Amino acid sequence: MNEDRKRILDMLADGKITSDQAEMLIDSLGAPVEPVPAPAPSPSAGWPSGPSAGGTPKFMYVKVRSSGKDTVDVKIPLALLRAGLKLTSLIPPQAMEQINESMAASGMSIDFNNLKPEDIEDVIESLREMEVNIVSADGDNVRVFCA
Amino acid sequence: MNAVLWPLVIDVRVQERATDKRGVRIWFPFFILWPLLLLLVALVLVVSVIVDLALLASGARYHRYTLLVLSTMRLLSQTRGIHAHVDSDGSLVTVDIY
Repeated sequence: MNEDRKRILDMLADGKITSDQAEMLIDSLGAPVEPVPAPAPSPSAGWPSGPSAGGTPKFMYVKVRSSGKDTVDVKIPLALLRAGLKLTSLIPPQAMEQINESMAASGMSIDFNNLKPEDIEDVIESLREMEVNIVSADGDNVRVFCA
Repeated sequence: MNAVLWPLVIDVRVQERATDKRGVRIWFPFFILWPLLLLLVALVLVVSVIVDLALLASGARYHRYTLLVLSTMRLLSQTRGIHAHVDSDGSLVTVDIY
């Protein structure tokens, strides 16, 4: 007689549970344990966990983990960033002035007029060593890196 | 080659962990829009070339609208490979652009 069965019978003898409850408990002891289904692997499971050690990075990764178990994973091709930066160098000056003013009003004083096409490759290359890792007081974590 | 290959497929999956096991999947074959886009781009390019030539002839400092259109098309093509996965309050949303 195992320990659990003995404890149930003791509870029955003490009058703490009825015979029906005791029977139910004893039946549950012998019931096969149903396997817990494994959670489906996250689509981002195979992503790199940090910046690449060498070589040209191909993607920018943004990973957000909140303390409330919410997660956000985004993978952006760096070619898109490159194309976007090249596009900014072709925007008409009048439109670019408006963009710069709007960004300055939002607290981002980046002047895209100073961004030259020949600098774009340097910007992309330097992203290889970049890693942003923000951990808030309540446990939220935001990571941005290229690999 | 990659510079002119627009997205082929946009795959959006929405799933509720608790109630809906299979969820909703929208698999949009973007390539069926390619002929329409090509026609549109061709028309825009013709107009932009004419505008650029007119600006150049008038001595305007900026005359790169054709390059702007081409760069925008390149930007669209580079969206291939974007992947976004959001898991919030038991809802899973995944967006893939191939």
